[in-house]
Amino acid sequence: MTATPPVPPASPTPPHRGAAGSADAPAPDGLIRRLGLALVCAAADPALGGVLLLDLDPRLVEPVVRLFGAVLAGTTEPARPPLVLGAADRDEDLWTRTRIRGGEHGITVRTEPGPLVEADDAHGPPPLVVVPDLARLGVAGMRAAVQLLGAEVATVERSGLRGTVRPRARWLATCRAADAGRLSRHLLDRFAVRLSVAELRLPGPAGPLETLFAGLPDAWRTAAPGVRPVPVTDAALTRAQQLLGPDTGVRRQLALVRLARTLAALEGRPSASAGHSEAAARLIGVAVPDRAQDRPEDAPEPPGPAPGPAGPPGTLPERHGAARPDPHRVRDDRALLDTGPAQGIGTAPGPAPAPAGSGPYPEDGTAGARDATPLSGPRRRTTGPVSARGTVIGTRRATDLRDIAHVRTVREAAVHQRARRTERFTVSPADLHSNVRAAPPERVLVLLLDHTCREPDGNWQETLAPFLQWAYTSRATVQVIEVGAADAADELRAGSFAARSVLDPRVPGALHRGGGRATPLAHGVELAAHTLRRLFRRLGTGPAEAWLVVVTDGRGNVPLRVSHTGRPAGGVAAAGIEDAVEAAARIGAMDRTRLHVAVVDPGREPYGDLPHVLADRLGAVVVDGRHRSGTEDAGD
Amino acid sequence: MSRPASGPRILPYSRVVAQDELKLALELNHVVPRIGGVLMAGPRGTAKSTLVRAFALMAHGELPVTLPINATDDRVVGGWDLDALIRGEPRPQPGLLEDAADKGLLYVDEVNLLDDHLVDIILDVAATGVLSVQREGLAGAKYLSFGLVGTMNPEEGGLRPQLLDRFGLMVTAETLDATARRLLLRTVLDFEHELASEDSAWLSAAERDDTGTRDRLAAARDRVRGVDVPDRMLELCAQAAERTDAVGQRGEIVAVLAARALAALEGADAVAPGHLRRVLPMALRHRRPEAAHGDTFDWGPEDEARLQDLFGA
Repeated sequence: MTATPPVPPASPTPPHRGAAGSADAPAPDGLIRRLGLALVCAAADPALGGVLLLDLDPRLVEPVVRLFGAVLAGTTEPARPPLVLGAADRDEDLWTRTRIRGGEHGITVRTEPGPLVEADDAHGPPPLVVVPDLARLGVAGMRAAVQLLGAEVATVERSGLRGTVRPRARWLATCRAADAGRLSRHLLDRFAVRLSVAELRLPGPAGPLETLFAGLPDAWRTAAPGVRPVPVTDAALTRAQQLLGPDTGVRRQLALVRLARTLAALEGRPSASAGHSEAAARLIGVAVPDRAQDRPEDAPEPPGPAPGPAGPPGTLPERHGAARPDPHRVRDDRALLDTGPAQGIGTAPGPAPAPAGSGPYPEDGTAGARDATPLSGPRRRTTGPVSARGTVIGTRRATDLRDIAHVRTVREAAVHQRARRTERFTVSPADLHSNVRAAPPERVLVLLLDHTCREPDGNWQETLAPFLQWAYTSRATVQVIEVGAADAADELRAGSFAARSVLDPRVPGALHRGGGRATPLAHGVELAAHTLRRLFRRLGTGPAEAWLVVVTDGRGNVPLRVSHTGRPAGGVAAAGIEDAVEAAARIGAMDRTRLHVAVVDPGREPYGDLPHVLADRLGAVVVDGRHRSGTEDAGD
Repeated sequence: MSRPASGPRILPYSRVVAQDELKLALELNHVVPRIGGVLMAGPRGTAKSTLVRAFALMAHGELPVTLPINATDDRVVGGWDLDALIRGEPRPQPGLLEDAADKGLLYVDEVNLLDDHLVDIILDVAATGVLSVQREGLAGAKYLSFGLVGTMNPEEGGLRPQLLDRFGLMVTAETLDATARRLLLRTVLDFEHELASEDSAWLSAAERDDTGTRDRLAAARDRVRGVDVPDRMLELCAQAAERTDAVGQRGEIVAVLAARALAALEGADAVAPGHLRRVLPMALRHRRPEAAHGDTFDWGPEDEARLQDLFGA
């Protein structure tokens, strides 16, 4: 068993956010150990190479990065600098690197593998990629993560460079749990090791890195390179599946058993047992209910499908320890590995149980507004006015002499100098490259359609015609938010889709959809606010213009909380309406020089004043929709 | 086939758990390349990419020609070998489309994330069969033909209808039940463990099974030209396409080719209704109007009901 001294239990009170490295309240030492052990596991197994730390204090990013670097290098010496990815990184900076050198015969240019893949075929410790804020990572970085994290092979085909590599880099990303819902699930799923570290504090007067190191056993610092995978018992598999629940994706289950396997290997055990699965779950903050009965490790499993985590009959199985307070709270004095760890490994006390909403999978807990197609780059418009505004996000072959990318052009010309055999440096038309810029300031039409206020034979197309014409003539993109559709995937939540233009056939399709029973109007208004905020944030102070057109009778009957949780609870009363009005007020506070709002009132009684109340909060004009929604007026 | 220590560490094809529909689509496309490729859609973590790579390793002994989503156009259509050019030697470097034509297959992982201009290039070549390059001092045109294999997670966006139609067959990855998931976990962990051993009976058995599959596919390729397609099957196919509102005629053509490949795989002398029935969803599901934006590919009981009296129970 362990020879390391006992560690005090985690602080029962929420820590005060003090200066990095010295908080007023003592840090939960177990969390430092869990973090250290998670990093060791990620260093040991390339399949666990994506680490996502949730709610890490930004001041602790640097010491945690240095700690991971040192673990990867296997020493306490500073490792080589990590590659830091942010919002502005471009594909050409990440996947390739251009070396320009002067020589006897002029400039030579060579394209080499870029920082993301240059070390993948080399010897030495794996490189480290750091994403300080995953929610602000640019499209190029997100796509690189999807291509490389956990992949057995990756292909590079850029600028004359071609190759297939086996990715070795480890990724360390941080993200606010509240932002996780906005991110691509496809991206989040690639991070095998997740840890909520909101309570991470570094007590003591020493520097942050020294404090982190002091919290870890010596053996961990150099353990990673020597770890070999050990067999995983059936009991470990069963327990991992039980802990994550039956509906969890295969990637999460694989991550947990790989983590268990690595923990067992770090201990020097011949195989991973159910106890290691539990230790792995505790490590990342997944609730570990007590097993129904004590039985010997790796005893034959009971027949039948694996039961989910314990819970009262008729309730959903407990998942991830995030969505609800865990009824099976882990005892603070329980060892992280209760299967008899070797010296220095896994002797930390059990983690403080994750508070609700702070587990390793926060994106499961809410239906927060998710960015539309976050892994796709800005669409290039092939029609409409060309703009030289916007941030440069790359270069492309020039078709005219506007906005020439000079460095890229000269670099392209340099490649061909020898073959051209001219006396002077020559730039030919084929060398010319121009800048590719982020989407120029644009126009957006946001349509919020409440299908439950439509008369059976109602027709919105005519009422909305002026707005649709504006969108067509100004080449506006369209975001359609639908509330209360009869065929909605989830009737408690609004749905939305983005279209390049009003010509997209889904837009007229939405104008003729039938109504259902529930009206999550508040959620729809919230989605609209999110869409508009994102538009204005992306376009900065550029001359963007947006129309928000809301077609509703104002009778929301789904409170916002119900839309978020997906679970109806108790009476509704007027909460659905009040939440919608409250959400509307946030739109009303937006930049009115760029945002115009209209509410189309279908004139339904009773409560005919509700659209006007909503319009008042939105700062909107009210358009009468009565005369165009009924068949009696169709011939007018 | 030897197993190089530094080669790709991809789960052997014969050991990929479940996903029988995906496997069948790849095998049919291999037996009759004129089918034109396979699109695989499914949620994250359903082994789509693994399956394609494992199939290529099993069938061809190497990874497929892969078009990454951030490839540059010079690597797609071809350009100059830069190192040679700097030395003053004009040496063309073939692009991925030419490589794909040589190997018969172009694999695009996350095909729905492909940049628009790359989609345009692929569509131009796939539609005309001609790669025309007029740039950077290169001037020429080549006839190219290749099958497209793409994988995508529809959560991240759809495909343009024109590109969708270029995939001969379309299949959706199944969500595994608890038993299959457990088997999958066990298989992956065993594979990773066996990779570390010098002489693994597990890997050798998997290679033997892969060899068996390769031989079976080769025999089907030899046999497929002799498989008869009765007129009644063509009639059935046309009626099925009409009932399911399939757009265009490519779906029927592909369905007949796939049914023929299936008959060859099963050792039959002629295509039977059962062969056609089995491949119809693959050939038609992405050619219906509601699939035009690539975000719904469901083939459900309603579709089956429409074909009920054509094929019987």
